Amino acid sequence: MPTGLLSRLKQKEGLPRPGARTQRVVLVFFFAIFFLLSTSYLLLTWNTGHPSTLLEVVYNLVIVACYGTLWLLIASLFRSERATPAKAFWHTLVLGVLLIGLAFAALRLIPGGFSEAEVPLTLTTVVKMSVLNLLEATFFFILLLRFRDLMLFKRTRTSERNWYLMLGFMVFTAFVSFFATPGGDEGWQDYLLAMGIVPSVAFMAINSFRISWIVHLSFKDKMASIGLTILLLVLFGLSFTYGGTAELDTLNPLRDVEGLLPWASKYLTLYSPALSTFMMLAGVFGILYCMTALLSLLFHLPTTGDFQRRADEMAVMHSLTDLVNQVFDLEKLVSTITASPVEAGSADSSWLAVADPETGSLRPRVIATHNIVPAVVAELVDTDAFYHEVLLSKEPVLLEQAPADHRVDANPGDGLSSLLVIPLSARSEILGALFVAREVTHGFEKDDVEAISVFAAQAALALDNARLFEEQIERERLSRELAIAKEVQHKLLPQHLPMVEGLTLAASSVSAQEVGGDYYDFVELDDQRLAFIVGDVSGKGTSAAFYMAEMQGVFQSVAHIAPDPHDFLTHANRALATSLEKNVFISVIYGVIDLESEEVMLARAGHCPAATINLTGEARYLRSQGLGLGLDRGTLFHKTLAVEHLALQPGDVFVLYTDGFVESRGPGGEEYGYDRLLDSVCKHRHEDAPDLHASLLRDLDRFLGGMRQYDDDMTLVVLKWHGIDLGKTTTEKQENYPIGAVPLE
Amino acid sequence: MSNFSVGFRANGTVQVLSLQGELDAHTASELEAAIQKCKDDSKYQIVVNGAHLQYISSAGLGVFMAYIEEVREEGGDIKIAALQPKVFNVFDLLGFPMLFDIVETEEEAIALFQNGAS
Repeated sequence: MPTGLLSRLKQKEGLPRPGARTQRVVLVFFFAIFFLLSTSYLLLTWNTGHPSTLLEVVYNLVIVACYGTLWLLIASLFRSERATPAKAFWHTLVLGVLLIGLAFAALRLIPGGFSEAEVPLTLTTVVKMSVLNLLEATFFFILLLRFRDLMLFKRTRTSERNWYLMLGFMVFTAFVSFFATPGGDEGWQDYLLAMGIVPSVAFMAINSFRISWIVHLSFKDKMASIGLTILLLVLFGLSFTYGGTAELDTLNPLRDVEGLLPWASKYLTLYSPALSTFMMLAGVFGILYCMTALLSLLFHLPTTGDFQRRADEMAVMHSLTDLVNQVFDLEKLVSTITASPVEAGSADSSWLAVADPETGSLRPRVIATHNIVPAVVAELVDTDAFYHEVLLSKEPVLLEQAPADHRVDANPGDGLSSLLVIPLSARSEILGALFVAREVTHGFEKDDVEAISVFAAQAALALDNARLFEEQIERERLSRELAIAKEVQHKLLPQHLPMVEGLTLAASSVSAQEVGGDYYDFVELDDQRLAFIVGDVSGKGTSAAFYMAEMQGVFQSVAHIAPDPHDFLTHANRALATSLEKNVFISVIYGVIDLESEEVMLARAGHCPAATINLTGEARYLRSQGLGLGLDRGTLFHKTLAVEHLALQPGDVFVLYTDGFVESRGPGGEEYGYDRLLDSVCKHRHEDAPDLHASLLRDLDRFLGGMRQYDDDMTLVVLKWHGIDLGKTTTEKQENYPIGAVPLE
Repeated sequence: MSNFSVGFRANGTVQVLSLQGELDAHTASELEAAIQKCKDDSKYQIVVNGAHLQYISSAGLGVFMAYIEEVREEGGDIKIAALQPKVFNVFDLLGFPMLFDIVETEEEAIALFQNGAS
């Protein structure tokens, strides 16, 4: 174990701050120099036997510098690692045993040195003296520095000051003892000595009560600390049982007993009276501190459970900050919230009820339980009733004797003897209720209720965030889906307009929302026939878009098989009747242009009538009879459907549109209307289809006064018959039209 | 927000619904609720008075289609009266006159029920 400890110390040493390493090297260097100097002096004086006063003063200064450096070196080693209580005792004990053991070995195993007789001036004595001082000083320095971390646990300015004052008086005492020559009887010396010793001891006593670290220890750690302090006390006892005499040791009853370190006192005092006094005082402090710590540890043992519980609660509270990270996983979050009161020891079982998103707040749903089965909760507790009570009162409900309450159907053995219901509210809205139960009656003290309430407030916030997060995700998902739908719908509209001899075409469609129910399309039936369609599904948005897609399928397939308008629309009506909702219908205008016979057949199934105009300016709406698709599923549809046959003249124009066009409202709320459309067509009738298309939209825009707001999907298709081959005049309309426009390449 | 409302009036066995404002995709649910209420009260003879109806969209027309079948199965009908020309045009374009009795006045509509019943 000591090797492990040393290696760990080395590890710490291996990763010091950039300057610390150099600092330590310098300290070691100076320490070595001072130590060699002091040893040389000893060898010198003990050989000559008559040191001069000046030399003695220099010697003592060297000693102070030497051990000052040692202190700084040890402090620097310990600085990087703050000691926990057990660690502090353990370090002190292990290093203490090691150092005292070495001292023991040095004194006992090397022959020669002090004995009952006089001081022999031998090399052995000098070596023993230096080694013993070094070992003992290291031990006491380690003791002071490690205990310092304990003492300054949760430090205050006062505790830091007391520590430095204690050290200061200890140094002062040591300094004074240097002048108080052994056996001196002058009163002022004793007086000065007392001036140092009394405050030192006083501050030792004060510092010995800095033991607040004890309450934070677990039972196991306390037991370990008790063992370590006892061992330390034994070590102190042994290390002080050295024989021999010194002036300061006159009160030591063991001074004449040959102890663990024989004649140690003499070695130390002769080496440096000041250092020996300092070590003596440090030892006294060590004993005092260990004694108070030991007694306090013993007194605190029985209450460890309470402190532990409180600490656990604090830990759980603290772990709540982690709840924030769990917003990405709602399931994990609710299980953490539910489990926490039980894990904190505040409850025996718990469950969480939240408003069911499907049924609203009327019937809460138990979404997580801990230490209890959902079925048991459902059987024993009327969760709904409690939920509604906290929903109204927004206050916790505490049942000291739960089985006595009519809402709880539990027997004493069911583990639900006291029940606490805490509302989870965020942004003044109740998100749910946390139920915690204990197996005993009166199981919740006031502080428990408070702790769980604080917890619940935090949990509610986390829950709220998680919910918002999910909503955001859902919104983003929906908008992504809609973007895809929009693209798919765009592909359902013709990507290229057909090139037909003698005919120019232009078309556009705009949806009020991402997707819409407007439709236009063309099918080249054969070399001389072109079928065209404009349709409008009732309603708007996604549902309309689905039916629009279906209409597209019907047109693309049925027009080839039954191109005649009457046949086509009858088939389409039959095909759609089965799939359309009762309240949904599709208005359609369908026609076939025959280039050879120069004729157009047109039928209107409930759709806005096509506007037509010839070169001379005769304009009219083609309002033939016909029901919207899906309105009638019987025979009425095909009985009432009329088809117009029109002979084509060069310059004839057909304008097909959806109601969004004529129902567009200007700034005054007035609709654009059929008359304005017809006027506009008349005005621009000489233009080619693409230009005419653009002109019609421009006229509409002018009417709308630039406020392009579309409440409805809007489609416009223009066909113009030229009657002669104009080559590639069927230019494709470049879409420069508004928001959400479905452009035509 | 909504500028559409439905007024309930009873005229003998006939339930008259007076529509006011604009009936579109947003307000269609209100007419739905009104007709649903007539159904719940087992009043299947319904006259819809459109004298104050300013506008109707295809979604509004859909409401009539949604209920007409059920109402007729119960021996009743929905008759539409007093539409403004512009609104009537929307009904007419889709061919509603072929599916519904659409008459000039509320009295006429009620009379149609009484004649039909007697």
